[in-house]
Amino acid sequence: MNFDQSASALQEIVLTLVVIAVAVAALEGFLYLVLVRWIKARLAVPLMLIAPAFVGLLLLIAYPLLWELNVSFTNMSLRRFCAPDFPTAGLLTECKGESMFVGAENYIKVFTTPVLQQAGFFQVLWQTVLWTVLNVTMHVAGGLGLALLLHRQMRGKGIYRALIVLPWAVPQIVALAVWRTELHGEFGMVNQLLDMVGVTGPSWLTDPTWNFAAMVLVNVWLGIPFMMVILLGGLQSIPGDLYEAAEIDGASSRQSFRHITLPMIAPVLTPAIILGVVWTFNNFNVPFVLNQNELETSDTLVTGLFRAAFQYNRYGFAGAYAFAIFAVLLLFVIFYVRRSGALKSANE
Amino acid sequence: MSVPKPIKFLPLAMVVALVLAACTSTSASPSAGEPSESAAASEPSFPTGDIAIELWTKEGDPNIDFVQQLADDYSALHPNVTFNVVNKDVELLREDMVNSALAPETQPELLWTVLDHVGPFYDAGVVQPLTGQFDESVLADAAKGAGTYGPDNDVWVAPISIGNQLMLYYNKTMVADAPADTDAMIAAAVANTAGDKYGLVYNQTEPFWLVPWLGGFGGSVFDSDGQTPTLDTPEMQSTLQFLYDLKFDSAVMPSECDYTCADDLFKTGSAGMIINGDWALGDYTTALGEDLGVTAIPMVKSTGTYPAPYIGGTYWMVPSAVEGDTLTVVLDFIDFTLAADQQQAQVEVLKRLPSNDEILNSAVVTGDPNLADAADAVSKGVPQPVNLEMRCNWDAMKPQMSAVLSGTASVADAAAAMQAAADACVAAL
Repeated sequence: MNFDQSASALQEIVLTLVVIAVAVAALEGFLYLVLVRWIKARLAVPLMLIAPAFVGLLLLIAYPLLWELNVSFTNMSLRRFCAPDFPTAGLLTECKGESMFVGAENYIKVFTTPVLQQAGFFQVLWQTVLWTVLNVTMHVAGGLGLALLLHRQMRGKGIYRALIVLPWAVPQIVALAVWRTELHGEFGMVNQLLDMVGVTGPSWLTDPTWNFAAMVLVNVWLGIPFMMVILLGGLQSIPGDLYEAAEIDGASSRQSFRHITLPMIAPVLTPAIILGVVWTFNNFNVPFVLNQNELETSDTLVTGLFRAAFQYNRYGFAGAYAFAIFAVLLLFVIFYVRRSGALKSANE
Repeated sequence: MSVPKPIKFLPLAMVVALVLAACTSTSASPSAGEPSESAAASEPSFPTGDIAIELWTKEGDPNIDFVQQLADDYSALHPNVTFNVVNKDVELLREDMVNSALAPETQPELLWTVLDHVGPFYDAGVVQPLTGQFDESVLADAAKGAGTYGPDNDVWVAPISIGNQLMLYYNKTMVADAPADTDAMIAAAVANTAGDKYGLVYNQTEPFWLVPWLGGFGGSVFDSDGQTPTLDTPEMQSTLQFLYDLKFDSAVMPSECDYTCADDLFKTGSAGMIINGDWALGDYTTALGEDLGVTAIPMVKSTGTYPAPYIGGTYWMVPSAVEGDTLTVVLDFIDFTLAADQQQAQVEVLKRLPSNDEILNSAVVTGDPNLADAADAVSKGVPQPVNLEMRCNWDAMKPQMSAVLSGTASVADAAAAMQAAADACVAAL
């Protein structure tokens, strides 16, 4: 990009910022006139303060969601790829003179026909649940184990911590590109190491079972540092007096861990697990980058959604599929919140 | 003192008016130096105002340098025209362009891409017809008529090069003569497979490398109507079986190998033969020099038919939102690149068959044995389908080809699964 192009790009950014500033000023001016001068509302100032953020959220979250809902009731595809008409209030209703409305057909198809080429919704859901459970379990187990090891007086603790956190510090896409090369069946480092100890390495990238295993392996490697850092923070916040008292009372190490460590790190562990579940469930990079051969047995709901929308161009179907995934996550959150009482303190 | 209501709203009205005025002036005012519509109509001379052209090209490193050079040469002739050459992977380019149907302002001014984008781009309405818009008189016969599509038989592309065909490249230090048929090819591959050396490599992950063999076994991905997928056929099963045998029985290929892997193995002398497109000719000439041999993919011994690679090439397409002076410049630039000088430079740098008739028949092509062989390989090929249904075929074939080549699906099951997937896809188009 030469200087002129950079200057032009900068000019566009500045212009955009100016437009946003003018729009905010106009909004505030309007609210001032209506709320302060006209209605004389008691909550005028708070309303004026949150108004820009509220409008921003409406534009960035509510509108795309409504648009997605609209698309999910149409047969939008590559051949019927139209923008909404203003005469229909921004609704996508017809394309090239034909009605696009298909009612709930897409929602029915999500559960009754393959969402990819062969795999149905429930197969991909099962793969996603398995992927999530395996990963989060190993993240917590590995992270807790490493955190306990590092939560002791030992020489070179700082170096160990830095080394363990390294996978987290590397940009994920870079790490995945490297892993994909190293998992190559013939020329990858992993199989060459296995070969050195007399083990014939599997086809990590083309065999369905081993490809799934490779995804889990890499994601565990990527995810453990985060869990370790969080849990190490939790461990460090536990007062040493508790362990001393337990020791005086004759508690074993296992009992101390069971009755002191675990309950004390629970406030840290619970949100970390929730985050881990949501992040892993929605993880796109790992399953997509390590599954370049498009093995459907390695697809999760999110990569499946990407393929449905942007590879197979079934936009209407993908809209319904996206809401189905949203429903699954919503059900999980409701279930988890009720069982864990996570919002109890906020409601009291 | 009470203020009358209309006056109360005066500040608001002024703010709204200011915002509207700013928006209107931003979108409606012509850029500096841009002539008015009426002036342009009466004055067809070259635009004098500043014109910025964003050019998306599928060419990556190092071939993008040639595209940039073309742009620079043109800018040297017309200093008011500037280019921003952006490399986009073929698939990304397709996705971004199709998505631009919803936001035409995101379109670039010019595309350098492949022929099979015509169908998706036409159906999405993101390109404009080029019928009669550029100088077709300079084109070779083989380049004429490419990208003709739609009910009005409009031309949607301007050919930069012809070919895109897959060929067999061989390293003469390992394979002395071009194999005449598949038996000879397999024998040569077996003779050169040992340790970390492989007899034959190709991209095992993309069905573009499968379709030539399908033609060699007498099959086609479409019925005679050119729209109905015909993938679950005995010919497809023979093709998949041939590829399977090549890998597992003859064992002349790496167990896993994508494009980069195959390309690297051949360039580093670790593979005796590679099946790859004409786009790699320049690269391989640099890597192997005199030791490089090129030929059409060998005839299938059992059928006596040559594999039929898809013929396409590289093409200019003009996005639908380009108009006015920018369109004038873009079309002029296209003519500039199709002229003899630039086409000869393309042959010399990229080693691709030119679309320009004069250069295609000149010594720069006929005097180069590798290019002459490439031209022969083109004669064995078939035009690449450009309709949307072809996308369904590609998507349907890819995972099943991988499944057969990883030994996780039988050829019969794979062919059946391809057909089912393609049929479902076509139905959803």
